[in-house]
Amino acid sequence: MSIDWVTVLAQIANFLVLVWLLKRFLYKPILNGIDSREAEIAEQMGEAARAQQKAEAAEVDFVTQKQQLLADQTALEAQVRQEAEQKRNALLVEARETLEQERLDLQAHLAREQKRFTTELYKASAETLYQLASRALRDLADERLEARIALHVISQLAPPLSEELAAAASNAQGAVVTTHAPLPEDARQEVEAALQGLVPGLSLRFATDDSQSPGMVLRIGSIQLDWTVDSYTDELVGLLEERLASGESSRVHNYGG
Amino acid sequence: MQLTPDETTVFTLWGLCINETVVNTWILMALLTGASILVTRRLRPDVPPNRWRTTLEVIVTGIQRQIEEISPQSSRHVLYFSGTLFLFIALSNLLLVVPGFTPPTASLSTTAALALAVLIAVPLFGITQQGIRGYLRTYIQPSVIMLPFNIISEFSRGISLAIRLYGNVMSGAVIAGILLGVAPFFFPVVMDVLGLLTGLIQAYIFAILATVYISSATAIVKKPENKEEDQLQMQPLLRPFPSSLRD
Repeated sequence: MSIDWVTVLAQIANFLVLVWLLKRFLYKPILNGIDSREAEIAEQMGEAARAQQKAEAAEVDFVTQKQQLLADQTALEAQVRQEAEQKRNALLVEARETLEQERLDLQAHLAREQKRFTTELYKASAETLYQLASRALRDLADERLEARIALHVISQLAPPLSEELAAAASNAQGAVVTTHAPLPEDARQEVEAALQGLVPGLSLRFATDDSQSPGMVLRIGSIQLDWTVDSYTDELVGLLEERLASGESSRVHNYGG
Repeated sequence: MQLTPDETTVFTLWGLCINETVVNTWILMALLTGASILVTRRLRPDVPPNRWRTTLEVIVTGIQRQIEEISPQSSRHVLYFSGTLFLFIALSNLLLVVPGFTPPTASLSTTAALALAVLIAVPLFGITQQGIRGYLRTYIQPSVIMLPFNIISEFSRGISLAIRLYGNVMSGAVIAGILLGVAPFFFPVVMDVLGLLTGLIQAYIFAILATVYISSATAIVKKPENKEEDQLQMQPLLRPFPSSLRD
C-alpha cells in the first residue's frame, strides 16, 4: 500500500476535468431545464390564475347581467300587464260607450219609427175620419163636406178678419185656396164669390196638396185662414190615448189583482 | 496479491507510465460525460423529459436537496464539486462488479487525490465566501490556543477521508478475491452485492462529509456578544452532520 504521487496529481487533474465536464454537460443543462420548466409552470400557473380571475369576473358580470335582465324582464312584464290592463279597460269603456250609443241610436230609431207610425196613423185616422164624416154628411143631409167646409171658412170672413184680409189683399198679388182633394165646382164658385165680395178684383187660385190635412186653407198675403180636421184628429188621438192608457192600467190592475 | 491498480502500467506516454488507475478513471469520465451528453444534447423547454432525462433530473435534484439540507445557502459550485465526487465514487464502486475492471477508488492514490481535492476546495470555498481574513480567523476560534488543533483537524479530515474510502473499497475487493478462492460459487456474489451497497454508502458518506466541511468553512461566524449567542451561532455547524456518520 503506497501512494503514487504522480497518479495523485493525475487523478486530481482528472477530477477537476470531470467537474468541469459534468458542470458543462450535466448540471447546467439539467438545472437550467428544471429552472426553465419551473418558470414555464409558474407562468402557466400565473396565466391560469389570471384566466381564473377573468372567468370569475366574467361569471360575476354574467350573473349581474342575468339579474339585470331578470329585473328588466319583470319590469317589462309589469309594464306590459299594466298597459294591457289599461287597454282592456279602455276597450271595455269604448265597448260600453258603443253599446250605449247603439242603445241610444236604437231608442232614437224606435222613437222615430214610433213618431212616423203615429204620424201615418194620425194621417190615416184623419183621412178615415174625413171620409167617414163626408159619407155620413152626404148620407144624412145630402151635403158635401168640402162645400160645407168652404161655407164654414167663408162664414168666418167677417170684421175684423175681413178688414185684415182686405188690407193684406191690397199688398198681395192674389189669394190661394189649398185643399187636400180637388174642391167641387159649386164650392169654388161660392168661395170665389165671397172673396170677390170682400175684395173686388182679387185674383183667386185653387190648388191641391196631398200632404195637407183634409180641409181648406186660404192664404192672402201674410194672412192665412183655414179649417182642417187636425183639431178633430188631435182630439181623436187624445181620446184613443186616454182609452189606451185606461185600458193598459186596468189590464195592469187586473194582472196585479 | 495486487492491492492497488497503480502498479499495473497500461501504456507509456511521453515517458510517463499510464497505469490502470488513470485509464480506468478516464473510462469513468468518458461514461459519465458521454451519458450526460447523450441525455442533455436535445434539451429544450418545449420537449417533455424522457425517462433518461428524468433519471438524471432525479439524481441531480436529489444531490441538490441533500446539499441544501446541510447548507441551505450553498451555491451551485458546491453542487458541482460534491455532486461530481458522489457520481465519480458511486460509479467507480458500482463498476466493481464488472469482471476485470479495478475501480479507481481501490487505489489509495485516487482516494488521496480526492481527499486532497477536498482539502484544497474547503479553504477555497471558505475564502470565496468570507474572504481570506475571515477564513483564517476561523483557525483561531474560539481562541488562539486552538490554532494547532484546528490545523491538525484540517489535515486529519483529508487523511481520514482518503483512508476510509480506500480501505472500504480495497477491503471489499480483497475480501471478494479471498472468498472467490474459498467458495467460488455463492459467497462472491453475495459479497459483490454487499460491495455495491457499501460502495454507494461510501460515495454518499464521502460527498456528505465534503459538503459538511465546505459548509462549515463557508458559514459566516459573527463575533458573539455573549455566550448564548455564541452557542446559537455554532449550532448550524453541528446540526447537519448526522451522528451516525461521525466516525
